[in-house]
Amino acid sequence: MTIDEPEPNSNSDPISEWLDTLSDVPSFLDEPYNYPEDFNFYGDSWWIPPNQDKHIVNHDIIDNNICTSFNYSSPVNAATSTIPPEPIILDLSKKRKTSGSESDHNPKVSRKNRNRHTNEADEMKKSTGHKRVTNKSTTNNCSNKEGRWAEHLLNPCAAAITVGNMNRVQHLLYVLHELASFTCDANHRLAAHGLRALTHHLSSPGSSSSSVGVTNFASANHKFFRDSLINFNDINPWFRIPNNIANSAVLQILGEHDKLKNLHILDIGVSHGVQWPTLLEELTRRSGGPPPLVRLTVITPTVENAELGGTPFVIGPPGYNFSSQLLAFAKAININLQINRLDNFPLQNLNSQVINSSEDEILVTCAQFRLHNLHHNNPDDRTEFLRILKSLDPKGVVVSENNIDCSCNSCGDFTTTFSRRVEYLWRFLDSTSVAYKGRESEERRMMEGEAANALTNMGEMNERKEKWCERMRSVGFVKEVFGEDAIDGARALLRKYDSNWEIRVEERDGCVDLWWKGQPISFCSLWKT
Amino acid sequence: MATMIVDDTIPDFDYYGGLSTPTTTTTTTTTSFSDDDRDHGCTWNDWSAVIDLDAFSGGDNFQDLIESMIEGNNSSGGLNMNIPKSTTFYNSEDSVLMEESEESNNNQSEDVNGLKLVHLLMAAAEALTGVNKSRELARVVLVRLKELASPNGSTNMERLAAHFTDALQALLDGAASGSLHAKSMFSPNYKDEQQQGDVLAAFQLLQDISPFVKFGHFTANQAILEAVAHDRRVHIVDYDIMEGIQWASLMQALVSRKDGPPTPHLRITALSRSGSGRRSFGTVQETGRRLTAFAGSIGQPFSFHHCRLDSDETFKPSTLKLVRGEAIIINCMLHLPHFTYRASDSVASFLSGSKTLNPRLVTLVEEEVQPIGEEEGFVGRFMDILHHYSALYDSLEAGFPLQSRARALVERVFLGPRITGSLARIYRTRGEDERCSWGEWLSAVGYRESNISFANHCQAKLLLGLFNDGYRVEEIGTNKLVLGWKSRRLLSASIWTTPDSDL
Repeated sequence: MTIDEPEPNSNSDPISEWLDTLSDVPSFLDEPYNYPEDFNFYGDSWWIPPNQDKHIVNHDIIDNNICTSFNYSSPVNAATSTIPPEPIILDLSKKRKTSGSESDHNPKVSRKNRNRHTNEADEMKKSTGHKRVTNKSTTNNCSNKEGRWAEHLLNPCAAAITVGNMNRVQHLLYVLHELASFTCDANHRLAAHGLRALTHHLSSPGSSSSSVGVTNFASANHKFFRDSLINFNDINPWFRIPNNIANSAVLQILGEHDKLKNLHILDIGVSHGVQWPTLLEELTRRSGGPPPLVRLTVITPTVENAELGGTPFVIGPPGYNFSSQLLAFAKAININLQINRLDNFPLQNLNSQVINSSEDEILVTCAQFRLHNLHHNNPDDRTEFLRILKSLDPKGVVVSENNIDCSCNSCGDFTTTFSRRVEYLWRFLDSTSVAYKGRESEERRMMEGEAANALTNMGEMNERKEKWCERMRSVGFVKEVFGEDAIDGARALLRKYDSNWEIRVEERDGCVDLWWKGQPISFCSLWKT
Repeated sequence: MATMIVDDTIPDFDYYGGLSTPTTTTTTTTTSFSDDDRDHGCTWNDWSAVIDLDAFSGGDNFQDLIESMIEGNNSSGGLNMNIPKSTTFYNSEDSVLMEESEESNNNQSEDVNGLKLVHLLMAAAEALTGVNKSRELARVVLVRLKELASPNGSTNMERLAAHFTDALQALLDGAASGSLHAKSMFSPNYKDEQQQGDVLAAFQLLQDISPFVKFGHFTANQAILEAVAHDRRVHIVDYDIMEGIQWASLMQALVSRKDGPPTPHLRITALSRSGSGRRSFGTVQETGRRLTAFAGSIGQPFSFHHCRLDSDETFKPSTLKLVRGEAIIINCMLHLPHFTYRASDSVASFLSGSKTLNPRLVTLVEEEVQPIGEEEGFVGRFMDILHHYSALYDSLEAGFPLQSRARALVERVFLGPRITGSLARIYRTRGEDERCSWGEWLSAVGYRESNISFANHCQAKLLLGLFNDGYRVEEIGTNKLVLGWKSRRLLSASIWTTPDSDL
């Protein structure tokens, strides 16, 4: 027999016949697809039903908005449709540490426990005065890196860029692209901002970006900008606490001098004026009344400086000027206020003539989140500027800065500096996620978009507290301790914010530090000549 | 590879009647076997080339990607980054994809979508293990994958990704609850719990739409027929008899031999496992009953035995009943698409135990495992398995493009659980204790290669001729045939003997 000869039973395939004897083949084609239940891997304990409670952002719960929509083009829709029914994933291992309750799975119960905890912590704070409160950082592990998935893509991508592994870069960009969103939780947002920064870096390495296409200060209208800043300060102490401490320090310095002397504040900051109304109010409550004259000299940043262009929070909307409103406010509360605005003024050119200071006034300098834009080596503009500050002979100098390692090119390769920038942005996004209670808004977008400039700005940025203190001492400043009023006031103010925030007073260096989830954010220090 | 005209070289096949569609053999006379991977179907099945990331190291494509991302950025306030133009992802070698113009757009978007899924799957695998391990990242990637992939998806990659996603999710959940070592669904009997009807339907479909099962059975049977051409008694010890399909066709071949000695007596000893399902004692008994009836109907002298494995599936040769003078054949079908994985220890005990029996022949069918290159460990293995199954899916689709529901059944019943099992294994071992192939193992424990005959090789080619052009068969060494799809080797059949064999 050869193969092409018809066999006796060539029409019947023995195997088919064999199969036919086994059983009837079911009419599977009529059956709808049915996935085996075993593939449903979600155990009940991992999924909590959507919770409409507005206190949904619970500190013991990792805030995981599962984005059901990745619709980039209509963030508002996405926000309204995806944010409210937030499925929450409990990290049970953490919860067990904070509460031994059987009802760990119930977010409301755990919230109660949490509140109890917080109250206890507060009580401890009261009873122990100014001692460091370590309670929170030990009970709260939310700052652990495990939950911060976006950095597990962004940092390796930066590393791959550094070593020129383009296959790896492309893979990670692909994944980032799939997971990035400007409207989901902080991780998705970090991925979106990070992806944007990385693609920017790849297209024009080393340059700063003008943040086209992202909502930030530069694109905001004046009223919206001011209202947003005020509201932000109301829900997030990022700037509010440093501003508050600076104001207290001004009063502290003022109290050490003749009440009839004029007050002159040199404002080198990023508060865009919103810091001062509260100070003016405080001045009216002072025994003996406000100083005869309050002078405010505002040094606005130089916009030409490309490196400054991308530094977060420094530059307001074009043409924004808070002077007239602040003057009107001062007038209403009977304070004799004078505002001198030095627009577009290079810090290095400051001198007594420029600010028109005089011997018989009390000059206090408030340098807040601005000095880190100066070069710190080759040349060391930072130290040089502190020398200039000293030459103005102020009665007090407040220095507030981000307490984060420098991320300029000379302080590390792209991998290192990018991860530091990402770290900075993560802390900001994480805290705003809590502050805005997970809700999307134009205001939130602007604040986060502005903060995200940190990723694309390739200039000098940040420095650790210790370095700043060293610089101050090196030019002859002497550390001044904040008064109890300043610290108690800041502590009292902080209580209205999320309990992941804390103030730590370092006995060692006399600085007041602001921490978020056990991580340092910024520090305030007070100096005299 | 040389083109073969079947008519000219057709060997004597008179002892084999198992080709299921013999009437079509005349049409195969001009079938050419070529390793030219031209892709007429033009589906995403060239993704092996697509994910050959080396192709992107030339900076131009990459720059395009970046630019398209940036453009997307500028055009709206948000991160409106549409999927970069698909042309970005193809180098000139893939220009064949553009040929079918009416479908090219559709196919390109499928390809891009497939590429996206591959990247996400790889990212999830990376997040589960390695230096950059992040369970949270794995979770988020899987959430996204679930949105993109579907077991009912229209493209292979969507369906394949759905199975891989579920398998990865199981690893993630298992890793979380510490229950990875629990039997649960990774147990070999998992599939046994599925509806028997579905399994049979899927098995028949698999037979019809792909050559995998027949390739394994036919190559083994052909070798058996050649090895026992002059024996009066043949004893086959079958590691995993299942429904016994393989032996129905062997009996047919034995009784239709025209020359040589009279039809030998055939004895089959099937190994059975404890528990219930397709490998249980009861099922094996039922198989034996049917085989006995079938043998009777075609006049094949036949007896059937079974031999129970220990509870840990260890094989003890002493439990076999042997008859003096019979030719012993060891049959070990391991990774046919409808088989679940057997524990390595069990297979090893069977193969090493069998050696003491001095078998005439050992027939081994197993999955081809690619050596992994740069990417070691779990991720490297993961990508290899993904590649393997994508080739498998692709081959199934190319054969029967319109029978998507039939394929979906095969995928759900056989391949999905296989994928889950495979990933669980490499996750447990982190891809590190990768054993060599069972063939190499046999060689290492002292088995000798037995020559694959020219006829056997030709038969395999003939079989593949009944299916899509994309299938290839290669002979590796003297004793092994490998069935591949395009450039990917999928399944091998090898034959072995012992130095002390009575032959």
